[in-house]
Amino acid sequence: MPRKKIGLQSALPIASASFAEALAAELGAGREYGQPIVYEHEYASGKVRVVVVWDEWADDPLEDRSAVILKAYEIAEGDPARERIALASGLTVPEATTAGMLPYQIITALRKGDPVTYEQARQAFLDQGASKLGNPRGLQLRFATQEEAHACRQRLIKQFPGSDDVWLVRRDIITQEFGEE
Amino acid sequence: MTIKAAYFNLGGVAEGTPLTMGTHINPAINHGRNVRGIPWPPQGQGHNVRAWAELIVAERAALGVAYAPDVARLVQFSGQRIGMLWSETLRYRRNVAYEYEMTQVREAAEWLLSNSAIL
Repeated sequence: MPRKKIGLQSALPIASASFAEALAAELGAGREYGQPIVYEHEYASGKVRVVVVWDEWADDPLEDRSAVILKAYEIAEGDPARERIALASGLTVPEATTAGMLPYQIITALRKGDPVTYEQARQAFLDQGASKLGNPRGLQLRFATQEEAHACRQRLIKQFPGSDDVWLVRRDIITQEFGEE
Repeated sequence: MTIKAAYFNLGGVAEGTPLTMGTHINPAINHGRNVRGIPWPPQGQGHNVRAWAELIVAERAALGVAYAPDVARLVQFSGQRIGMLWSETLRYRRNVAYEYEMTQVREAAEWLLSNSAIL
């Protein structure tokens, strides 16, 4: 009679190897901008909380995304890096926006005579990591911090000299800011 | 409630203490959102099982009493599973779940309940 012990691991999803390798490559590339955006929050205990914002997650359930992130860190940085991660979450840009994690956004104010066309602005947005998900009317170029948003704006101005007035940084007004504690 | 009870127990709230929105629930949500970096949508925030599960994993890690890695993943996994398939608004709708959905939620809830002593 076969006797089998079922460990904790057996209940957990197995990471997609190709997806994990793709994310591991991104972790190693260290790009300055674009998706995926990896937010690492280190606690005083030394443990790390990782959120990966990436539209490629769209068709995967949350639990699979967590498994992919852990596997990707293991591939890119080894077992110790994986073991430091206390919590790993993957979100698409619209999901992270709904959760209030990306309150800063760059929008365009294009006028006739500006040194950038609609098509150029759209491509620049995509290059900078804009999301095509969730908003059928346009792209969403979003950030967690004001510093990230302003750094992105500076890159856009550098790419299109004289376009300072085209790129505007706005912040979402979050409903709970007006609510009772 | 099992996860919430574990979280407040970790914070030193005595068993039997009535939990109120103003004193306990909302401050915990804001702490999770603003200090621990938990993605926590405002819609139905008190009922977000996924976010509460992630909060207790993060809180324990931050305080130096982290779960063992597999336990942490299972707490998060259970919260994710339940969060994906259950919403408090289902109370007010006619809804027939698929059997596999029921099984997934039942297994996740069962794991949390049977392991409540270590949460």
